Amino acid sequence: MASDDTTQQTPNKGERKSIFTNHEISMLGIRSNLVQASFSYERMHSPGWTWAQLPYWQKIYKDDPKGLKRVMTDNMEFINSSPPLYPILMGLLLTMEEDHVDPQTIKGLKNALFGPMAGIGDAIFWFTIMPIVGGISASIAKNGNVLGPIIFFLVYLFLFWSRAPLAHLGYNLGARAIDVIEDNSKIISHVASILGLTVIGSLIASYVKMQLTIKIGAGNATINLQKQLLDKIFPNILPFAFVFLLYWLLKKNVNPIWLIVVTFVLAIAMSAIGWM
Amino acid sequence: MEVTFIQGALIAIWAMISGLDAWLQAFFIFRPIIVCTITGLILGDLQLGVIAGGLTELAFAGLTPAGGTQPPNTVLTGIMTVVIAYSNKIAPATAIGLSLPFAMLMQYILLFYYSSFSLFLPRFDKYAAEGNAKAFKRLNYIPLTIVTLSFGIVAFLSAYAAQGPMHTLVTSMPHWLTHGFELAGGILPAVGFAMLLKVMLKQQYFPYLLLGFVMASMIPFSNVLPVALVGAVFAMIEFYRTRENDKLAAQIKELKSSGNVNNNGGGGMDDGI
Repeated sequence: MASDDTTQQTPNKGERKSIFTNHEISMLGIRSNLVQASFSYERMHSPGWTWAQLPYWQKIYKDDPKGLKRVMTDNMEFINSSPPLYPILMGLLLTMEEDHVDPQTIKGLKNALFGPMAGIGDAIFWFTIMPIVGGISASIAKNGNVLGPIIFFLVYLFLFWSRAPLAHLGYNLGARAIDVIEDNSKIISHVASILGLTVIGSLIASYVKMQLTIKIGAGNATINLQKQLLDKIFPNILPFAFVFLLYWLLKKNVNPIWLIVVTFVLAIAMSAIGWM
Repeated sequence: MEVTFIQGALIAIWAMISGLDAWLQAFFIFRPIIVCTITGLILGDLQLGVIAGGLTELAFAGLTPAGGTQPPNTVLTGIMTVVIAYSNKIAPATAIGLSLPFAMLMQYILLFYYSSFSLFLPRFDKYAAEGNAKAFKRLNYIPLTIVTLSFGIVAFLSAYAAQGPMHTLVTSMPHWLTHGFELAGGILPAVGFAMLLKVMLKQQYFPYLLLGFVMASMIPFSNVLPVALVGAVFAMIEFYRTRENDKLAAQIKELKSSGNVNNNGGGGMDDGI
């Protein structure tokens, strides 16, 4: 068989035969970066999702044009998940496609998994890693130290390459990945929320800058409103209150653009009357 | 200082590279901290780029495309913050506020693409039904090219062609207005954090938010790493506790159901005999 060479290189340790080499599975992870290529609101990632996996289906359905048409059409359906986690999903669906599992099963599985995975991915990548890495590297950079952007770049370069092992993970786990994801999705997003919110709490205190400069009273009796009143109650009380005002507005379904407008109007007004 | 034509062209090329990355979200070089640094490098003032990068990254900390909203574009903010600070000799903190209209312009262009790119879908469907892999791949390059070129054109016009009017605007602004923009740049992170909270904050997580806030207010430190570690400690404690709880819950369920099976089995036997 032509696939004898590749079978030995596969990480499956002879449990099952694979037509894909290790390198090809790694490249699946790298190719998963294409999912947003033709993004549109109607079906979100589907054209890019299909494009990324196309060479692999071409290999599976080399002598079966009907199969290729079927798999391409199936995958043009709506899909929207967290891009950094796509390698896992692609890997596990590829195993099943390769084993010629019933297409309806594969489709059902894909639809069942992309939603929960979007939740986990957003919690990990946007709400935990981004504030931590961005916060640390930005606090280094704002003093003019070029290490800030370098650290940021290296961390995200690492995350870029981590897509390759994630593809292997999905491919090797196959259908077992479903249990792993279902068992752990709740606990992972729970734990990521704890870490993320602790960090966001500290970012509110360190990075939202609101200080009153107004002094009230006359002559010797003047008091500095910020230093002698607000800071005595609690430092950073203004930033905390303002974030929650904006949060409340968001809960009332106010468009985020308006929050930016409110911020600018407030800042310019405060500057004009000399309070800040 | 003026942005020369060559610098404007280089900025346009950089906007195309980082803009393509913003579209695909691959290397994250579209974040302000990287965009500002490279723009500073192009303008010959790396120091300015790095400082502006740190400030702009913080201002955009919570403004992420997750959760269904498209925030003001980070590539244009990054480029224009450095360009405006450089060509008008003003503080980067003030320049962030002035760069925002450009970021919103790009944001609306992208929103337009998100809607209109669905026009390509019938084509994709046709090639999929035919099993025409080659044509399918090729079609994907059209949206990518449109997006990449848009970034280049918008960045070139904003950074090079609009600098005259921009300079007039900035120099004619009274002090209270520029100071207002500077203040707004400092308050802007609040918008991002509020957006993060809208997605993440549930009542049970409020204590952790408060913990991070109080720590950062009381203990002087230069970055968020110590707080992140304390957060990680709580995350680990919760991880093991939840896992233990789940295991116990599963065991209890098993015991209960095995008890039921026995009862049913017994009942069946009685009925049968």
